Amino acid sequence: MELTITGANAITFPILHIWDWRVAIYLFLGGLTGGLMTMSAVANLRPGKVVPRDQPCCWRIPLIAPILLSLGMFFLFLDLELKSHMFWFYLTFQPLSPMSWGSWLLILIYPPMILYAFAVLPDELKSGMADGFIKRFADRMRPHLLRLARINFVCGILLAIYTGILLSTFVARPLWNSAILPVLFLVSGMSTGTALMIIMARKNEVKLFFTKVDIWLIFTEIMVLLLLFYGHYTSDAVHRLAIMPFFNTSHQFFPYFLSIVFLGIFLPLAIVLKFLEVTGDHSVELTPSGKFLMNASAVLVLLGGLVVRFALVYAGQLSGYGGIM
Amino acid sequence: MAGSFDRFWISSTKEDVMAFSRRNFLKYAAMSAGGTLLAETPFLSARAREKAEGGNVRYVPTTCEMCFWKCGVIAKVVGGEVVKLEGNPLHPQSRGRLCARGQAGIGLLYDKDRLKVPMIRTGPRGENRYKQASWDEALGYVADKLKGVEDKYGPEAVALFAHGSPGTYFNNVVRGMGSANVAYPSFAQCLGAREVAWELTYGQGPNSTCERVDLANSRVIVLFGTHLGENMHNSQTQEFAEAVGRGAKIISVDPRYSTAASKASMWLPIKPGTDLALLLTWINIIISEGWYDKEYVEKYTTGFEELKKEVKSYTPAWAAQETDLPMRQIVESVRDLGRYAPNVMLHPGRHFSWHGNDVQRGRAMAIVNALLGTWGRPGGIWLPPKVNLAGFSENPEHPKANKDAVVFGDYPFAGGEGLTQVLRETTIKGDPYPIKAWIVAGTNLIKTMPKPDLTRRAIDNLDLLVAVDVMPTDTVMMADVILPEATYLERHDGLFTITTREAGIALRQPAVAPMYQSKPAWWIGSELCKKMGLEQYAVKDTWEGRMRRQAKKWGIGFDELADTGYVAIPGSAAPYITATNQPVFKTPSKKIELVSSELEEEDFDVIPKYEPIEQPKKGEYRLLYGRSPVHTFTRTVNNQWLWELKKENEVWLNKKEADRIGVKNGEIVRLENQDRVVSEPVRVRATERIRRDCVFMIHGFGQHSPAMSRAYNRGADDQKLITRYKVDPICGSTGMRVNFVKIIKEA
Amino acid sequence: MPKYAMVIDQSRCVGCMACVVACKRENHVPPEQYRTRVLEMVNGEFPRLKSEMRSELCNHCDHAPCVTVCPTGASHKEDDGTVQIDRRKCVGCKACIAACPYNARYINEEHGYADKCSFCQHRLRAGKKPACVATCIGQSRIFGDIDDPNSEVSRMLRDNSYRVLKKAAGTRPNVYYINQFPKKS
Repeated sequence: MELTITGANAITFPILHIWDWRVAIYLFLGGLTGGLMTMSAVANLRPGKVVPRDQPCCWRIPLIAPILLSLGMFFLFLDLELKSHMFWFYLTFQPLSPMSWGSWLLILIYPPMILYAFAVLPDELKSGMADGFIKRFADRMRPHLLRLARINFVCGILLAIYTGILLSTFVARPLWNSAILPVLFLVSGMSTGTALMIIMARKNEVKLFFTKVDIWLIFTEIMVLLLLFYGHYTSDAVHRLAIMPFFNTSHQFFPYFLSIVFLGIFLPLAIVLKFLEVTGDHSVELTPSGKFLMNASAVLVLLGGLVVRFALVYAGQLSGYGGIM
Repeated sequence: MAGSFDRFWISSTKEDVMAFSRRNFLKYAAMSAGGTLLAETPFLSARAREKAEGGNVRYVPTTCEMCFWKCGVIAKVVGGEVVKLEGNPLHPQSRGRLCARGQAGIGLLYDKDRLKVPMIRTGPRGENRYKQASWDEALGYVADKLKGVEDKYGPEAVALFAHGSPGTYFNNVVRGMGSANVAYPSFAQCLGAREVAWELTYGQGPNSTCERVDLANSRVIVLFGTHLGENMHNSQTQEFAEAVGRGAKIISVDPRYSTAASKASMWLPIKPGTDLALLLTWINIIISEGWYDKEYVEKYTTGFEELKKEVKSYTPAWAAQETDLPMRQIVESVRDLGRYAPNVMLHPGRHFSWHGNDVQRGRAMAIVNALLGTWGRPGGIWLPPKVNLAGFSENPEHPKANKDAVVFGDYPFAGGEGLTQVLRETTIKGDPYPIKAWIVAGTNLIKTMPKPDLTRRAIDNLDLLVAVDVMPTDTVMMADVILPEATYLERHDGLFTITTREAGIALRQPAVAPMYQSKPAWWIGSELCKKMGLEQYAVKDTWEGRMRRQAKKWGIGFDELADTGYVAIPGSAAPYITATNQPVFKTPSKKIELVSSELEEEDFDVIPKYEPIEQPKKGEYRLLYGRSPVHTFTRTVNNQWLWELKKENEVWLNKKEADRIGVKNGEIVRLENQDRVVSEPVRVRATERIRRDCVFMIHGFGQHSPAMSRAYNRGADDQKLITRYKVDPICGSTGMRVNFVKIIKEA
Repeated sequence: MPKYAMVIDQSRCVGCMACVVACKRENHVPPEQYRTRVLEMVNGEFPRLKSEMRSELCNHCDHAPCVTVCPTGASHKEDDGTVQIDRRKCVGCKACIAACPYNARYINEEHGYADKCSFCQHRLRAGKKPACVATCIGQSRIFGDIDDPNSEVSRMLRDNSYRVLKKAAGTRPNVYYINQFPKKS
């Protein structure tokens, strides 16, 4: 067919062109924060106290989480075309709009996050502090630690899953328009959160514990990713076309093909590395090379999470509902 | 059959014209009133609308000049700024609607690249070095130079090239001096051959402002290369769409699948240059199969028997071979014509200077129309309105020309608009006498005339080139003196006699005062007359004053006209032949001359004869050119609102040819013509929509003037590739579709 | 209250772009941005070709995905059936642009808000038809109240088989298309 379009807007033709790296990073950081909230809660809630509370991953992560989330929201803010109108998010609630839910959720998540950060401040740190507001407030929060951890556990899941819901609600963008997408973003968020926990943890057994957790998460992530593609492949023409860029080696779609290749290597490699770690002999302290491998596999997981966000944000904008018909 | 006639746009009853337009109103109003809330008040006058809407809004009815169709337009002015243009519902050329260009008139008015102040050249020609000048200084300079030329070479050494309304005013300067060397490219480079063909046959052309084609009521419409839709003449395209919507048969004879062809029930992708073979064969079939209107032919035509004998040899089988069309198509198309005659037409076409045998092609088209009895019949060619307006002039007659004009060359039927290329040739050769000064008003000669290098050479020979224009076109930027004209939204012009089915009067009046130091052409012409000592040809007071007096003489209320934009002349419409409304043919025989007595006198073929023209060799393509609906030649390419819709042209190349020579769709190539002239880079449009032996480009792109900031260097200039032209021996028009190009891949 | 709808007779569209420019001038649409567009689609092989001409604009859907996703209520459905944007409330999040299967929306480059065809709401209020309809050279665009059985649009939809674009998207558009191809008599 010979097609001539006169009067097309650059923002939608030849492809949708609305969200870029800023939104991809926001989604990544949102998912990562969710994972951190949930996993640091796990660390503190773990029955049998596998993870001692003075571990950096137990108290530093809750401090980092709100900063990462704010950074993510900053990137989102950068993407808004009318920044001065931002207050309108909070003068209304639109029950059918995922972004309205999301903007409120982001606000509501901060208080438990911050309170939790106070509650987990280790005693050694507090003893070195002057007797100011921070110390007194941290002391007052400490008895609520477990309750706050439970709230953070739930909030982390909500946050991570939300980052996928927004994209999945557009009938016009078939690649995103799948109920599997929020699950993918949830699992990916959790696995990246766990990966950062591994990097931050000092103690051998803590690292090993989260490595075991991550193996299951990455396995699930690979499964969900495959199901996303398989679901699209077995759906109608519109959806089948939507995943085409990932399986097309032509110049135009090469980045998407590359992203699949990367994910296909990163994630399984991370699993293998982790599997080797947990099956290894850890009766003695970790060797530097063992530590390096552990951290490297965690970095691979973080990169994988980033690639998933970038690939899906961009590829989703290539997909349209039924072409020009 | 009768049933479908009910839906026709206009009926043939002899009603008062005012009632006729009012009826359209009622129809319009009734359509609007369909929705419960949409009860639009019909436009009755500018004042009435202002009153109804209140506020700070002014409405100014005027006449569009984004092309030359002269649509009625209503300018909406808020706080001294034109904010919207709409079609004047009272005006038969626009009927309340405007095309893209008409809507974009604001883009011309507020184009930052407009010519703003008079300028006098300070550097070598074409190097864009100018100094600003006051009007007094610039006009004084022009007057001195013109007088210098007159003193040295005689007044005939001053020539005028013009298009559109500004020409009117400079005629007074040039003819007032005693030169008759005036030429309009609209004749030799456009529709001259058509006008002559129909004048020879019917004694009258089909009207150049608005072809008298009854498209709205036609059953079968044949278009020879006419690409309505892309060729956006407002009311004509409205009626074409009406015909398409109504289910009329459209037969498009065109090497290219144009928009019109896409609406056609039959597309005849004819081999370029062989139209006459098809037409003569059609004539043969019409006669031999008895499709012609016997009574009509008997009553109104002469030469039928001779014609019958002459066309005998043009058989469908032969035509199929010659035109590269299937025989079945050739026969079926003409039978459709015959079946529905006389409510059919061969559209006379418009840009007609194709191959140098154009008058004869036009004659053949006129003859087919005559045989089918379309002239004066519903759905055919309507009869001109009955109007008898006295000539109006406030200036004395121009003096007899000092020497005979050269603008008619050796062509016995060259029209009154003159032959631009002959004027150019004389300027170069200085024979029979030198031509040393040109006034160029409203035409971009370098992009209009074939063989632009000759235009440049002629300009090199001049002592003075004065350009009067709105935009800094390629031609303007060659001028010694540039005089910035006000746009059509800032000036008075007219009165215009608009002859559609009815006759009416329209005018142009300013919606806003001229911007910058631009001036209306009437003022420039008039002031120049004064400076030249030709006060008798100057405008008495103002052009508005002159229009008032003209209206008074014609018995038209000027204020009413200024308020409505159009006043119909009651009782003028008489479109169809009836017992009491008989056609008048101004030919020597007072009949439709199937055999032309005037051509006989001048020793031309009295009946068109087919002669094959040169065809391109393999690997070469005939260069065809045409129009985009959003552009008028080079006039609109810099207009923001049109530029953004069509920034550059492409070269249409048959997909299989593209594959054969290994060129991809969208690839940038250059074209090289038979004279080794190479085009600017241009994108290939590899398409199934064109024959394999030709390529097509939209005309008007490839601006070389950097002062046109948006259009500069966009697309390729087709005119540059037209280094060969074949002059029609009958009327002197320049056939320009005789150039062959090769595709050169960019390294 | 009327329910506004547009019927587009594709056979009568000559691709002249009058609608595109009229819309831009009427609604002060920034340079190189558009609320309506024209598609020309040609199929087949020389010389057997078939062409479709189609103008597109906001479909003012009854189930408008843009309205659903809007986080601030800036995009909303009005009583007259049109989908409108309250510019003061728009934050420029672009979710509505992603949500529209018809790619009818854009970000107004001069002001930052999401923008699209409004069926010329300001003209409707003054009793006028949308600018594109008023100037349509081929009278290909027909506008009116679909709830009024006597309106031209209602008559058109009764007398013709019609379609809407991307019906399967479930948006229930209010722009209807008739005569996809010219009648070949």
